[in-house]
Amino acid sequence: MDINYLGLAFALLLLIFPILIFLHLKLKLIGQLFTSFGRMIIQLSLMGIWLEFLFTQKISWLTLFWMLIMISNAVFTLRGRLKFQRRILLPILATALGSTSIIIMPWILFMVIRPQPFFSPEYAIPIYGMVLGNSMNSLALALERFESGLSDNWRAYYTRLGLGANLWEAALPTFRKAMHASLLPQLLNIASMGVVSLPGMMTGQILGGSSPLVAIKYQMMIMTAIFSGVCLTDYLGIRFYLSKRFDKYNLPLKEYK
Amino acid sequence: MLKIMIKRLFYEDKDLLSNVDLAVQPAERILIVGQTGQGKSSLLNTLNLMNQNYDGKILFEGKDLREYAPYELRSQICMVMQEPFLGEGTVRDILQEPFHFSANKHNQNPKREQQTLELFENFKLSASYLDKNTELLSGGEKQRIALIRILLLKPKILLLDEISSALDQKTSGIISDCIFKNYPGAVIAISHDPLWQERWQRSWKLENGKIIDSKEL
Repeated sequence: MDINYLGLAFALLLLIFPILIFLHLKLKLIGQLFTSFGRMIIQLSLMGIWLEFLFTQKISWLTLFWMLIMISNAVFTLRGRLKFQRRILLPILATALGSTSIIIMPWILFMVIRPQPFFSPEYAIPIYGMVLGNSMNSLALALERFESGLSDNWRAYYTRLGLGANLWEAALPTFRKAMHASLLPQLLNIASMGVVSLPGMMTGQILGGSSPLVAIKYQMMIMTAIFSGVCLTDYLGIRFYLSKRFDKYNLPLKEYK
Repeated sequence: MLKIMIKRLFYEDKDLLSNVDLAVQPAERILIVGQTGQGKSSLLNTLNLMNQNYDGKILFEGKDLREYAPYELRSQICMVMQEPFLGEGTVRDILQEPFHFSANKHNQNPKREQQTLELFENFKLSASYLDKNTELLSGGEKQRIALIRILLLKPKILLLDEISSALDQKTSGIISDCIFKNYPGAVIAISHDPLWQERWQRSWKLENGKIIDSKEL
């Protein structure tokens, strides 16, 4: 069932409660609230219009082109968020996210959903958005943990080198910790699914009129795609980062801001 | 065994040493001395590829250090640092860790357990330490375990970077004794400990950008 504009306005009127609480506590968040919701309304409206166009046209090259825009956006957002070794990050992030996209998306589209035509934008784009968004956030966490794990304890790294470890062997314990920190919250979230909360995508589908049985199948598929994508992106991202972060003597390169 | 021919050793814009020409023979014991900032650690670190800030050549068994794979060289020229890092787990775990590295996999020795116990005895540690968690060790115990870990690898050259500076006289003496008695390879050490300075046969004194080699005096 569609929501009409009056209904949507009533939904936005719910913001009266946070505003009253902010005023009562003299919390300086009202400006940010208007900025955040204002941006959300504009961005989502533009996106809605664009996706409506994309979905009705069903042009495969345009779908692919839009996916390229999405990944470029993810790469630059991620690079902006990471505050270390910025000069070497761009190709690393692009390759990690790109490789994951090339593996996960054809798998889901060609083997699982099999829509007609294959590049149906109403499937490819939302699924890609979820895989990419989660992979981007997880890669940010994994790389931050990996870099801080190294730079907070160079002594550990140098000791292993001094005992005859190669680059991979010297960095492996830090690699493991970064992967663990990034993947454990995802696994805990998956384990709580259906018990603690109904996932967003499933809720959306049910509200949109799908049967809950169809919605759970999509949810299982998307969670698997997301987790596999996240794990691949983290692994590839850290591996590429490792190969660029050190010189041929396995010594760390200087910090490039 | 080791031939050091460094035209210039530097740190950022500062020149530390120039025209270094030294040779190290197997089983030699060499002590590097000098005031802070003269380049003692920088020099020591060039010998296992941990410092590349130099112009010149260092030959190990006739081959330039820079031509070795870093891990291959570092498994033969090993370093113990001032504050050793042992890692997580029991002492037994961390003693085994280096043997999982590909450069040391060939270094399998059926008598390792026995040698470990002998080293523990020499370093005045009881065998019960093998099952102790590394977090529970004192500074002196950590330093001795770090040395045992390196000695089990049987490197050809041992580099020691001020390993006795945070230790009491007794522990420092035990370590000095053990290295002298038990280690067959060459040792190059930085130390301010008078006990070590009395005992070491040869010294390189770093002063005003030059090295004074006691062998040539």
